[in-house]
Amino acid sequence: MKVFSAMATSASALTAEKMRIDVVAQNVANMNTTRTPEGGPYRRRRVVFSELLTDASRHRFVRLPSRGVRQGVQVAAVLSDERPPRMVHDPDHPDADAEGMVAMPDINIVNEMVDLMTASRAYETNVQVLNVTKSMKLRALEIGRG
Amino acid sequence: MRVNVTELLFRAMDAAALRQRVVANNVANANTPGFKRSFVSFEEHVRDAITRGNVTPASLQPKVHTDRITAMRDDGNNVNIDHEMVVMAANAIQFQALSQQLSDRFSLYRYVINEGRR
Repeated sequence: MKVFSAMATSASALTAEKMRIDVVAQNVANMNTTRTPEGGPYRRRRVVFSELLTDASRHRFVRLPSRGVRQGVQVAAVLSDERPPRMVHDPDHPDADAEGMVAMPDINIVNEMVDLMTASRAYETNVQVLNVTKSMKLRALEIGRG
Repeated sequence: MRVNVTELLFRAMDAAALRQRVVANNVANANTPGFKRSFVSFEEHVRDAITRGNVTPASLQPKVHTDRITAMRDDGNNVNIDHEMVVMAANAIQFQALSQQLSDRFSLYRYVINEGRR
């Protein structure tokens, strides 16, 4: 058994939730972006989480039944939203088409804030788990002392 | 059959460490679609084995189960964060109690080795 595997599990979740917060920040920052390297308006991005599975063969000689214990979470993909952009009538805009319509990113600020809150709460929870794991390990170091 | 208490304490601490890993994995995957929570059973196996009077090494092995029948959300994830935090808090206290008992046993051995001098 890897000694710090519970900590590694929590750490993987911290990385993943941080990534989700980064993506929310990117979405909110680009709410009004009409030009991107791919052309057209900015597309909302979403992270997809998947379970991080460990290589079972590495645990063959382990006395503990570590089979069946998975090793955390990872960001499987950051996907772009393929929904059509929001069309806004603004004839003065440099990117307006012949009818005076501008394609704007379809970003709902409420969705983004909910995503942000969820990610931030999940981050806090994982920090709490990490602290409890740490106190357990430190406690085990006290065995036989005094 | 007599139960070796030190061995039992070792196994119980192993089980508590495993349970902490499983809870950490559940909490880490609280937002993973389709994830199903796991849990560790250990104490009930030991209790059953002691009741039957047949304590085997297999009965002192913690087991990991996956809860596939419950549902919390429509994305198929069934992690209940509050439940996991309660399990974790209880498990940490249990781990502390076990390590305290193990320490006490070791100081008892030390006392015997020193022929009762301190």
